[in-house]
Amino acid sequence: MNNSFLRVSIWVYLAIFFLYLLGPLVIMSITAFNSSGFPRMTPWECLTFQWFGELFQDQRILNGIKNSLIIGAGTVVLSVAMGLAGALMLTQIWPKLRATYYTVIIAPILIPGVVLGISTLVFWDRINRMLGLGADSFLSNGIFLTVIGQSTFIASYCMLVLVARLQRYDVALTEAALDLGATHAQAFRKILLPFMRPAIASAAVLAFLASFENYNTTTFTFGEYPTLTIELAQKVRYGITPSISALAFIIVALTVFFALLNEAKLKRQELVAAARKNATVEELAGKIKLPSFFAGNMAAVLVVVFAVATITVVGTATAYNPGQCIANVKEQKRLEAEQRIQELRKQREEQRKKREAEEAEQGDAQQSAPKPSNNSGFGNVFAPNTLDSDDEDDATGAETPSNNGGSGGVFDPNSLQDNQ
Amino acid sequence: MSAGVGVDLENLWIRFGDFVAVRDANVNINGGDFFSFLGPSGCGKTTILRAVSGFLDPSEGKVLIGGNDMRGIGPNKRPTALIFQNLALFPLMKVWENITFSMEINGASAAQRRKRGDELLDMIALPGQGDKLPSELSGGQRQRVAIARALCAEPDVLLLDEPLSALDLKLRQHMRTELREIQKRVGITFIYITHDQGEALTMSDSIAVMRAGVIDQIADGKTIYNDPNTAFAASFVGENNVFRGKIKQVMGNEALIRTNRSGDLVARVSTANQGKLKEGDDAMMFVRPEAFAIAPDGATGDHFVTARVTHEEFEGNAYNIFTEGEGGKEIKVSLPNLGQSFEDHTGQNITLEYETRNAVLVPAGELAAE
Amino acid sequence: MPGFLKEFFNRNGTGMGLAILGLVLFWTIGLIILPQLSMLDFSFRPNLPPPEIGGPKDVYTLENYKYLVYGPEGGSQSYNTVDLRVFFRTLLAAVCVTIFNLILCYPIAYYLGQSKGSHIRIFAIMLIIPYWINEILRAFALRIIFGETGVLNTLFTGLGIWDTPFDFIRNDIALYAGLGYAYILLMIFPMYNVIESLDKNQIEAARDLGAPWWRIHWRVVIPYAKPGISSGCTMVFMLSAGALAAPQILGGPSSLWFTQLIYQQFNDNNDWPQGAAYAIVLLVTCILFVLAVMRLFKVNMGDIGK
Repeated sequence: MNNSFLRVSIWVYLAIFFLYLLGPLVIMSITAFNSSGFPRMTPWECLTFQWFGELFQDQRILNGIKNSLIIGAGTVVLSVAMGLAGALMLTQIWPKLRATYYTVIIAPILIPGVVLGISTLVFWDRINRMLGLGADSFLSNGIFLTVIGQSTFIASYCMLVLVARLQRYDVALTEAALDLGATHAQAFRKILLPFMRPAIASAAVLAFLASFENYNTTTFTFGEYPTLTIELAQKVRYGITPSISALAFIIVALTVFFALLNEAKLKRQELVAAARKNATVEELAGKIKLPSFFAGNMAAVLVVVFAVATITVVGTATAYNPGQCIANVKEQKRLEAEQRIQELRKQREEQRKKREAEEAEQGDAQQSAPKPSNNSGFGNVFAPNTLDSDDEDDATGAETPSNNGGSGGVFDPNSLQDNQ
Repeated sequence: MSAGVGVDLENLWIRFGDFVAVRDANVNINGGDFFSFLGPSGCGKTTILRAVSGFLDPSEGKVLIGGNDMRGIGPNKRPTALIFQNLALFPLMKVWENITFSMEINGASAAQRRKRGDELLDMIALPGQGDKLPSELSGGQRQRVAIARALCAEPDVLLLDEPLSALDLKLRQHMRTELREIQKRVGITFIYITHDQGEALTMSDSIAVMRAGVIDQIADGKTIYNDPNTAFAASFVGENNVFRGKIKQVMGNEALIRTNRSGDLVARVSTANQGKLKEGDDAMMFVRPEAFAIAPDGATGDHFVTARVTHEEFEGNAYNIFTEGEGGKEIKVSLPNLGQSFEDHTGQNITLEYETRNAVLVPAGELAAE
Repeated sequence: MPGFLKEFFNRNGTGMGLAILGLVLFWTIGLIILPQLSMLDFSFRPNLPPPEIGGPKDVYTLENYKYLVYGPEGGSQSYNTVDLRVFFRTLLAAVCVTIFNLILCYPIAYYLGQSKGSHIRIFAIMLIIPYWINEILRAFALRIIFGETGVLNTLFTGLGIWDTPFDFIRNDIALYAGLGYAYILLMIFPMYNVIESLDKNQIEAARDLGAPWWRIHWRVVIPYAKPGISSGCTMVFMLSAGALAAPQILGGPSSLWFTQLIYQQFNDNNDWPQGAAYAIVLLVTCILFVLAVMRLFKVNMGDIGK
């Protein structure tokens, strides 16, 4: 009994944990499809794809993506190269220097990103001045500074990834290549590099993602070239819209897709290796019948399901027109707002009357008179069902946008909701 | 056999910091020979190999290949090919790509490489296995691929660093013959590193016995076995029984040694030490287990040893008797099984007899660890 | 040393050796050591307009550090209570976030490290995916949840648990949840790596001897996992204390994070030396704090990053 209780509590704990981990991402993704002007899941208004459209028309976002890609590419090249050199050095450095060296190259991971950004900025600014260059020189260029600043610590991550694989490398392989006549460069290119390829790929992906999402360092170094993350931070800090959710949804979807794809590839490699083990000589000579990509490969199946789902969604998005629903919701909102105004008016009226009554100390008969007519009028005419007729929709659809745009602050649904 | 390219080491010293790995090595290896360096692990034999292949610079002295000084010439420019202890096959290349790697470096076309690869695969009796990965081969097959890869580079000298040590006993014995045959066929110089005296004795034209950075003896297998220079060589190569003592009297090429335990015994002074051992010197006498015979009880003289039998064992081709020896070590006597009957002597004293030519006398020195 | 260099070039060849050595020197000296020293130097200088830099006024001064402690000269208070409070609150909050993460992640790391099966891989992917999403977007997601009209408030007011929206942001709950959220992976992975290598038999043996589950953890698993725990805690603490995005997005209007002060000095006040001095204070304090805690728990520096 004790055991089953433990097991249940473990699963409950796991569920809560992953809810905490993944819940926010799911909710954020969902808000990208809600037509509400503020990213929210409830109340659900209409299914819409308008935020994606808005996203792709936002010049600052597009420019940020461009800068992020340029900086990401530079950072990947520089930090993988430095990480590889750092890892190679670590495996053959003079033993007495090893501990110090390791501390130095691992330190950037622990140094706060803010500090790295500042030190990069300060240092290169000084170099720039020492060389007598102007404020627009290459050394004070935002892209250069950001690549340099990010690579400082991203190279440490790369180094850790690469050194793990390098430790399993047999130096005798390089020696064997040299012994067979290869130059050092050939041995590096033909033997060490292919061996390191999986780790280099991992390091490159890691470096790109770290560069792409970096904020702390970049915020000091970006200069004239804000990255996507910087633009996002600006947007999020000064007012949030669901188009950010739309971007988040795209990134989440891409991440999930590539994670699954990678998983499927790994699984396939395992299967191929197993098949080769059992293959005969003739089969190996080229006619080996390898297992298909999908056989016994859950992840691959998921990739396809995922891809089909995406195509479906995109297809729906182009065909689907949420205008009617949005119009309905807006009309509803307008009416709710009107109702609210009426209520306010009524309250004011009542207060006024109260005051009058207090002042006059009379008027009992008049107090309850306006109430019934007001209430019944709204309740019947503006019930949601009655809004379905086409005529009314066309009329309201034409007039509401301007109405809503102007009064966005006043008619903020939140205030309504709270009092309902 | 074509006269291959010889290798000479002249006054070779190799130091790592304060540690002397190789001390004043002088070796002449004839072209086309199968030459072995034999010694326990850590004796410096691999260091010598690395100096020949070019991975190490000698601290002093020279390495000559075909009479040319190799100083300053990198491993990729030397006419040597090394077979590594762990073979160092490139794990991500197919077998044929492994074998023809040296051709790839020289810019040969894929078709040429494929053709040569198939030839070499035929030679090492692995036809059609070229498309496998090294990890998909058995230990012995990998061994042969490593040899083919080295031979494909058409080296003048093939260096082998304990290549058989990872194989099981049966395969190891089979590969010995195979290696020797390959060497005879291609006719180039083989330099072979091993700690296994069986490998060295069966394959080599010449053997250098090494101990702690020093070469004790260079000779063919028979000489090393029968006429060792030093106590180390005598005790490292094959089984041997040691008798310590002082030289009592030198008589030409023979000498009388006063042993600590077994009285005065006569022995032949090993060739290298003739004229050098003098009366009063500390010396060691070595007699192989198979050189003893059981003498009639009560026989005495300078080639008889009497001792108490501790235990006996039957080994199939031989019958082994162990008697008390000096310093806690036993004397082993190995009688060939020729169908005669053996009686159990355990607990009794027996007298052993040997012929003078089978007892070798060398100066006292360090023995090989068990 | 020349011996080492000679061997290095022998082993790697001249060209490759130069490339490796050049990259390593550029990274360690040009990107790591010199910029930090440069920032240190800068923090001791007055804030001057560019033409006066290197001029007679450009002398070393402790002004920037004094400012953090005593505030502006001639200020109304004897101490810079605002900045100092932010500083200590940041450190304290970072410690709280670290402890919260440790407690949250230990069971997960233990579970992942000690169980077998294909679902572990799925869990691993589910762990990594959030980490691949942009830091800003993660904070944004939490803002959607914790906002005044966010999911939680809608849910709870809808269920009638409370009637007015609870301000998660002003109460810093959103901030702590966001910081904890951001660094879960960095806490789990080092612990997982160590616990995975723990021999299951040790736990079985302890259980055999009748130890209750909490004692098994206290006496067997935790001592074994100490390098991983300290590695994870160090990273989470340093990154929380140095976080900028989460406080900017999730922090309440009245509660600043120390990194935000640094940011202000650089971007709003344009006082770089002052910002550099604050950055140095943050860096040095964090390092000293981590070293002190590591000494307290007898952990080695070499275990970090494994």
